[in-house]
Amino acid sequence: MHGSEATAAHILFGWDPLWVSSILFVVTYAVIVSEKVNRAIVSLLGAGLMVMLGVLNQETAVSGIDFNTLGLLTGMMVIVTITKRSGIFQYIAVWSAKKVRAHPWGILLMLSVVTAVFSALLDNVTTVLLIVPVTLLICHELDLSPYPYLFAEIFCSNIGGTATLIGDPPNIMIGSAVNLTFNDFLFNLAPVVPLILLITLGIIYAVWGRKLQATDDARERIMQFREQDAITDALLLKQSLAVLALVIGGFVMAHPLKLEPASIAMFGAALLLLLSNLHRSPEQQSEDVQKTFSKVEWVTIFFFIGLFVAVKGIEQAGVLEILADRALKLTGGDITLTAMTILWISAIASALVDNIPFVATMIPLIKSMAPTFGGAENLMPLWWSLALGACLGGNGSLVGASANLIVAGFAERSGHRIHFLKFMAGAFPLMILSIVIASGYIYLRYL
Amino acid sequence: MKLKQILIPTKVASRGMTVREVFVECGRVHIPALPFCTRSGRIAGRVTLKNILKLSCLPDYIIESARFLGEEMSCMDDVEAKAKQLLCTPVDPYMQEPALSLPSNAPVIKALAMMEQNDTSYLFVVDDGQYQGAVTIQCLARMFTRLDQC
Repeated sequence: MHGSEATAAHILFGWDPLWVSSILFVVTYAVIVSEKVNRAIVSLLGAGLMVMLGVLNQETAVSGIDFNTLGLLTGMMVIVTITKRSGIFQYIAVWSAKKVRAHPWGILLMLSVVTAVFSALLDNVTTVLLIVPVTLLICHELDLSPYPYLFAEIFCSNIGGTATLIGDPPNIMIGSAVNLTFNDFLFNLAPVVPLILLITLGIIYAVWGRKLQATDDARERIMQFREQDAITDALLLKQSLAVLALVIGGFVMAHPLKLEPASIAMFGAALLLLLSNLHRSPEQQSEDVQKTFSKVEWVTIFFFIGLFVAVKGIEQAGVLEILADRALKLTGGDITLTAMTILWISAIASALVDNIPFVATMIPLIKSMAPTFGGAENLMPLWWSLALGACLGGNGSLVGASANLIVAGFAERSGHRIHFLKFMAGAFPLMILSIVIASGYIYLRYL
Repeated sequence: MKLKQILIPTKVASRGMTVREVFVECGRVHIPALPFCTRSGRIAGRVTLKNILKLSCLPDYIIESARFLGEEMSCMDDVEAKAKQLLCTPVDPYMQEPALSLPSNAPVIKALAMMEQNDTSYLFVVDDGQYQGAVTIQCLARMFTRLDQC
């Protein structure tokens, strides 16, 4: 076996693993943040160098990869890829717009809530990919600027994603690393989400609400939309909804059933692949399965793999322990101060850089604080602070979350460019407000 | 059979040519694209009807919402108006990377195989860097019907 102690990592030229891993990690992180090279390439290269330079051996590197996170992400990506083909998301978006008789503010409210709910149950990127085109079409027909709508949808996608284990990648990573269930997230994070959503939408109403006016003719045009046209395959729709319900039910029951979320998501993906291919010939099945798998975001999956190994490198070399020690000295080992520091730093960092590498680094760092706080069970306020900060922080700027960039891309290609600074001028203070609310919540509930 | 026996000679697009001229030529010879050539006659790229229309008239959200589109929608009028304005504009900004090409003495089955491999329905025929004409999947189908013995 290659990974035995006999073939343990042997740092090249006797260099100090602490420095080698630190330099490798900082360079990897800097190149990821610069966005000059594809992030999957950078993280895999960083991971590869951790092994090639002898900071890690292969066995230790592989042990750093969290297959629960990868399985959950991949399984959900497959389920969402198949489900979205049915047209259900666009159906609900149009249906909800008609439900409020195409009133401009009502549409904003409905689409925001739909975005938040979908983001909590699916993922933010898919949600905005499906909701934003319908939003732009509706705004065009109503002859309204889409900016307030898109602004609200960005916020609601990130706020909604905060509520559940599967809503945002940081939650998936935290849940997997600390063995937190779907229900843990639901009981601990979901209660504050409606409050943040309500206040955010209230402020959006105060800024834009009264200005959103449309003529009766324009509203009538929206009422003429035929939402049923969105449904491409009624059978697939039923199959997808049934599997989605089964998977979410599985997440809720995961703990008593002693199942991991990744197993549930992968089983759901396999079941939906089977159901959606039952009527097809073997050749058609191969084509369909290949098409579905090609839609999985492999760049994200490989980015995670590389990142997990790179983080394992600095963990193994003792860098994170030193950082945790320093952080605890700064906060004096006070749980309240530590939780607030984690919440605010992760929010501001997530607003400016990708929150995935940040959370991947913070997880082992927080874990190593367990002895100071009397055991892993006392770290819960820190985990919830990290989750709230990383997810809500994504609202701070256009680059704060992948979903934000997708919305900006759609807007630009439709002739409604969202300017980075203009967005940040409105978004950053609103994000800070959400973190103030989150701070109050963490303090009152856990500290 | 060789490509030179079935190729369709066409005009080429060049700097300053209007979108209307490209549309007229593509419509006349029933091909979806023209090569974009330099003054020396070398192929620098191609212009395709699909790309011109998509880039200039169809924002992503209209494509994504295609199933909802109906005559009563104002966005449909906008797309039509944009398409009309487009006709007088130069074709230069729509140039893409060169299309698949083969020499005129290449066998037609090779053209068919390369179209399939590259998921396209046309290719350009080029000898020594000079454009000779285009071959489409329809040309190949016509050729096969001429060979029909049943």
